[in-house]
Amino acid sequence: MPSSSDRGRPGGGPADTGGPAGTGGWPGWAGPVLPVGLRGSVRAKVTEADTAAAMGSGDVPVLATPRLLALAEAATVAAAAPGLPAVFTSVGTSVTLEHRRASLPGAEIEVEAELTEVDGQRLVFSFIARAADTEQDVVIGAGTVERVVVDRARFLARAAQNPAVDRG
Amino acid sequence: MMVGLLPGAVDRRGAEARRLRVAEVRAEMVANVWQVVASEGDSVADGDTLVVLESMKMEIPVLAEAAGTVTKLAVAEGDVVQEGDLIAVIE
Repeated sequence: MPSSSDRGRPGGGPADTGGPAGTGGWPGWAGPVLPVGLRGSVRAKVTEADTAAAMGSGDVPVLATPRLLALAEAATVAAAAPGLPAVFTSVGTSVTLEHRRASLPGAEIEVEAELTEVDGQRLVFSFIARAADTEQDVVIGAGTVERVVVDRARFLARAAQNPAVDRG
Repeated sequence: MMVGLLPGAVDRRGAEARRLRVAEVRAEMVANVWQVVASEGDSVADGDTLVVLESMKMEIPVLAEAAGTVTKLAVAEGDVVQEGDLIAVIE
C-alpha cells in the first residue's frame, strides 16, 4: 500500500482566496488559488495486485501503467492538499505519462509531483517515478497531470445530475 | 466571452433617436450548457450570470458584460456549444 507525504510550504494555506487568478484563463473562479511549487510524493511496493496481468491492462506480471498513473495522481493530490481547505478538492482532467521501465512485484517506487503551473482553478503538475529500493537514480516513469480545483459537494451534486448517457 | 458591440438600429422616433447597443455573448470554448440562469426579456446588469457552462469538470459562468435586456437566449440546458457559438444577445 502506498504511503503519502506532502512537503508543501510551511503553513502553506491558499495563497490567494480572492478572485480569479488574473490570467484570464477561466473566469469566475472565487476559490483558492494554489502557489506554484507545492510538492508531494507517494511511495509504494509493487504487489501482485498492481500488475498489468491483475489489473487487466496487459498480460504480464509487472507494474501496470494505470497503477503507476494512480500513484502519480496520488502524489499530485498530496501536493495540492496543504493549499486546499476541506470543502475543496481537485479532480484530474488530463494526463501524459511515459512508462519507461518495467517493475516486478516487490519493487519499491517513489513518485514525486510538483505543481508547475496555476491558472485560477486549473493546476498543472509534473511528476517523476523512481525506483526507491536502490541507491541508483532509476527513472521508471514521468509525465504531467492536470487537475482542477472544485468545491467537493458542488462537484458531486453536479455529477449526480449529469447522467453518463448525456455526456456525449 | 466575446462581446461584439455592433452599431444597432437607430430609433426612428425622431429627435431623441439614440443608438441601441447590441452585445452578442459567444462561447469561448467547447462546453456543455449546464444551467441557463437568465431568460429572454430579463433586464441584466453588467456582471450578471447568463448561463453556466461546464467544461473539463469546471463550472464556467458566462457573464453579461453590459447592462441591458436579454433579447435572445440561443442555448438550452444540455446543449453543447462550440467555440464562437452565440449564447445570448443583450440590447
